[in-house]
Amino acid sequence: MAVVWVKLLRTAAIVAVLGLLYLLAIQKHAERDSQREAPVELTAACAEKLQAYALSASEVYRSPYLHKTTGRVSELSGYSEADIRAIQRGCNIVDDTQGQLAKQGARERWNATRFSRSTHTSCDHCHQSLGDKQDSAGNRIVGSNGLGASWVMADMYDRFTGLLLPYEMRQMQCFINSSNGFKPNAADDLLRDITAYSRFLSAALDLKIGHRYPEQGMEEIPASATLRRGDDYVRGAHLYREKCAACHGVQGFGTVVDGKVLYPALAGPESFSLDSRMHFGRVNTVMAGFICRNMPLGQEGSLANQDCRDIAYYISTLPRPAGDRQGPLVAAWQQLMMGVMPPLTRYAESLGRSDTPHAIP
Amino acid sequence: MIAIPSALPRLLHPLRRNLVIGMTLAVVTLPQAIAFSTTLAGLPPHFGIYAAIWGVLFTAMLNPSRVFSGGPNTTMSAAIGVTLLPIAPPFGADYLGYALTLILLAGLIQLLFVLIRPLGRMLDLINEPVINGLICGIGLFLIFKSLTSFAGLPINTQVDWPLWIAWQSLLAVLEIGNMYAIQIGLITLITSLVFRQFEALRNWAILFGVCAGTAYSEYLNATVGLQNTLIEQIANLSSMGWVLPSIPLFDQEAMSDIITILPGAVTLALLGLFQTVAAMRRMNRKVGGYTDSRKGIFADAVSNCVLPFLSSMPTCASFNRMWLVHSLGGQSRWTSAASALVLLLMVLFLAPLIAIIPMPAMAAVIMLLGANMINWGDIKPHFRDRRETVVFLASFLSVLFLDLFGAVVVGSILAIGYSKWEQAHPNLSVRGKVLKVRGNIYYGSLPVIEATYHRVLEREGEVVLDFSECYYIDREGIRWLAAAKAEQKAILSDRRRTPDRRQGDRRNAADKRRQKGRRTGKPDRRQRSEF
Repeated sequence: MAVVWVKLLRTAAIVAVLGLLYLLAIQKHAERDSQREAPVELTAACAEKLQAYALSASEVYRSPYLHKTTGRVSELSGYSEADIRAIQRGCNIVDDTQGQLAKQGARERWNATRFSRSTHTSCDHCHQSLGDKQDSAGNRIVGSNGLGASWVMADMYDRFTGLLLPYEMRQMQCFINSSNGFKPNAADDLLRDITAYSRFLSAALDLKIGHRYPEQGMEEIPASATLRRGDDYVRGAHLYREKCAACHGVQGFGTVVDGKVLYPALAGPESFSLDSRMHFGRVNTVMAGFICRNMPLGQEGSLANQDCRDIAYYISTLPRPAGDRQGPLVAAWQQLMMGVMPPLTRYAESLGRSDTPHAIP
Repeated sequence: MIAIPSALPRLLHPLRRNLVIGMTLAVVTLPQAIAFSTTLAGLPPHFGIYAAIWGVLFTAMLNPSRVFSGGPNTTMSAAIGVTLLPIAPPFGADYLGYALTLILLAGLIQLLFVLIRPLGRMLDLINEPVINGLICGIGLFLIFKSLTSFAGLPINTQVDWPLWIAWQSLLAVLEIGNMYAIQIGLITLITSLVFRQFEALRNWAILFGVCAGTAYSEYLNATVGLQNTLIEQIANLSSMGWVLPSIPLFDQEAMSDIITILPGAVTLALLGLFQTVAAMRRMNRKVGGYTDSRKGIFADAVSNCVLPFLSSMPTCASFNRMWLVHSLGGQSRWTSAASALVLLLMVLFLAPLIAIIPMPAMAAVIMLLGANMINWGDIKPHFRDRRETVVFLASFLSVLFLDLFGAVVVGSILAIGYSKWEQAHPNLSVRGKVLKVRGNIYYGSLPVIEATYHRVLEREGEVVLDFSECYYIDREGIRWLAAAKAEQKAILSDRRRTPDRRQGDRRNAADKRRQKGRRTGKPDRRQRSEF
């Protein structure tokens, strides 16, 4: 008889736990639904961008950008209120992935921080000007990582892996490598909203599906684009000190003021991982291209190709987290290096100056 | 004419019993086979079903064990999925080709274990704590792995093996899961759980669960519509026949990918062999009797070399199904063969019914089997011994923190280390100046013995080394004993009565010469109790 009771109790306990999980799921779903319906508070940059592209609920969407640049008028199918909220949320995520500008913090960004080990990462660090970088005349800049141009190239074969990559998977790679994090599920609102925003950008810029536009991806600088003196991280270190250290810090740890990231980390635990294509040791053309196009802020294009490669090389020698695929040994080693190298470097540098005591600060 | 009617029932009776047990086995295997191939391996359901037909049939023919039952296996299916997901999108043509190649490679690697005898012998070193640790870890992982299909979410195409990444899918289920899918999964889960509590229905519980889940899914289809529920179902199997020939992919372009899946093939081969050897060992002990595990390895290896040409998943022993066959009273290899035939007939005639099984129900089946793999009754004995506890926990954690390949490697190293550790620590007891050694004296254990020996020597100035209970002394050990003896500080004592009990009456030529007294000048050292 006792056996029967034990069995009954055990089964009842398991069923109760499953029931509780089900109730929790209902509650979480309701929470998500309410957040999908809630009006979106735009960040300043997003408000400006979306207003410039005349995003509003209507039957037909006419792109002001196309009218301004070519004088033509396009008529695309318009957006519903729900579409607009998705686009707005997507833009917010691109601008402020960590939710530092939001009232409710990361919750308003679909908990994007859950998928990122780095507390600095934001999409617009690499996809600058909210994934839509233009010069003063409104021309899209070559190799500027445009999100709209990327969306029309979605579901194409990946250049590096040769895999057919849906747009969601491309975003997952950003989360895994560039933010040294985890991948959200392909059906997550986080990815859907970023997709909605990217798709809206492609409509606003009148980009055609399947076309390759010059602003898609990073413009790469291979060794053949230099005088082929060879890449040199010592030269890179000098240039870094001169051109980059003021914002990104001598150790490349970035600048954070009042909990808000002003300049992101290029090394250390808050930066991208060894598996990222920004890492010079993995793909040695991408970071250099990014630096030449976008850095230093306000003096873009002032660096020579060889300088960019040298700086990228130097940055890649700084310790950073290992990628998840590299296994626990590499991860442990990188963790050790991130702990040991910065004070060691500081100490070594203090040796060269006569006015500082020889001690680890 | 008169003899036949009386002899026929006697002949038919075991046949009928085999058929009934075979039918039960087929019914138990079918949902598992479909679930393994679709939710774990990323292969169409016929791969699992053919493994449950041809895999079972081949191993039954090749393996002389009377209760052996092969067929598709959770761990191996998970290994296929984990290896191939980064290479190609699941269910695609490339993926199938790579899967067949992977299985063939695994079969060939297993064949090496048959051909190279010491390699096969190494598998016997895999002890219970290691295998139980692997099984528990994989069971826990299967629960997390099937969460996404449980909630009707798209499976992630990159591998998320480590647990700290996999748990995020639980949050995804709670927040964005398809509620219809979750309902179907829960109904399957709870029905199976309830039916499991009744002893008579225990083996059929999963089938009842799948039936309940499918019935609810059909109800949803009728009321809400499949276009609104968006529930994924098993594809139509009506094109399935007796045999579906297939050829592994060995293209020039595929070679780089095939090289990258080699560690996966090793993992697959080892996981299969670990389980076959462990299951045969456990089954031999439970049932009584003995079947050489080498024959099991041979049966597995040959089957796995043939199966990729029949579009089937790999096979290895399933302890649960073997136990089921035994507890139902199956006593011949015909039971497994009958189950294969019954399954084939079922699939040929019930294909339209199988096609409407919803995927969340399959995921629920995987969760149940994953939970079954974590069996407290099997684990508890390991916590009584500190050494076994350490080995078990290390093996368990290595599954959760490394990938499958890493876990298998760690498991093998642990197993070998465990057996060596056992030998290298003889039981030493000191009483006064008598040092008694129980165990081996060999190069590995000498440092341990020497440490105690010198401690006693310093204290007492003289040691009596009693190795009456030593059962193995290697050359290095003999040299050390001789050196200790030569220093005049140690007295070697062997209190065994007979000159050498282990040798019995066997004498070699030197012994015979000694006995004949040719070397009377020197005393025969073996005849003395102390030398």
